[in-house]
Amino acid sequence: MTATTRTIRSVKTPANYESIAWKWMRYSAFLLIPLVWGHLILQDVVVGVHNMDLGYVADRWANVGWRIYDGLLLAFAFAHGVNGLRQVLNDFIHKPTGRLILNWGLFIFWLSITVIGFIALIGGVNQQFPLQ
Amino acid sequence: MSALKTTLTGYAGYRGREGHWSFLLHRITGLGTGLFLTIHILDIAFVYLAPNLFMDAIKLYQSTLFGIGEIGLVFCVFFHGVNGLRIAYIDMFKPAAWTITKQRNWTRTTLIIALILWLPATFVMVRNLLIHNFGLFGG
Repeated sequence: MTATTRTIRSVKTPANYESIAWKWMRYSAFLLIPLVWGHLILQDVVVGVHNMDLGYVADRWANVGWRIYDGLLLAFAFAHGVNGLRQVLNDFIHKPTGRLILNWGLFIFWLSITVIGFIALIGGVNQQFPLQ
Repeated sequence: MSALKTTLTGYAGYRGREGHWSFLLHRITGLGTGLFLTIHILDIAFVYLAPNLFMDAIKLYQSTLFGIGEIGLVFCVFFHGVNGLRIAYIDMFKPAAWTITKQRNWTRTTLIIALILWLPATFVMVRNLLIHNFGLFGG
């Protein structure tokens, strides 16, 4: 009996927009596992939504470490989500014109929400303390 | 519109068992999480842009309906994460395991791990709801 060997073929192709987007889906996914799970366990389970108000956000954001954490979440989670939505919609939209509109539409959507998020993250809680 | 119909009937009618179900579940959990994330960025933006609206949003999140949604969201995030890790792990370290029979077991294991992560979190969230919204356990 002759031995057979498995060879894994790999083909090098130049990077393009879609392959870069695909790679970043995966890189961001690895980052998001600790970031999002940590956020979820802390906010929804340990603290709980019933213990939250403006003061809670203010206390949390008084620590620059948490602002950086939330900034990373905002940057990576939302980009991962919008690109995921783009991948899903590519299943339904096949024509080049449609995809062009889709890509630009989602890019503008992603940019506006991300900018709004960072404005709040940098601006902080916009209320005098102690609360009335 | 025909692309919509073809794709949707494909999603529904394809009989790929575990692989098909985990594909659908990955999409649904991803889209669900993305929907909430969009709303969540905007409600947190209220702390700067409109603090009074933020308090209204928090009150809404404390309602029983949103509490149930929160429990669903936590499942979405855990399943999407565990399933994503499965795909990345097999791609990078075990490409020989990309066979239908092997992935049937991997997929079931993925669901079980997600449920194991989800159940204790759900216990705490249900308890919080019962305490704060129904006055049980001395709430």
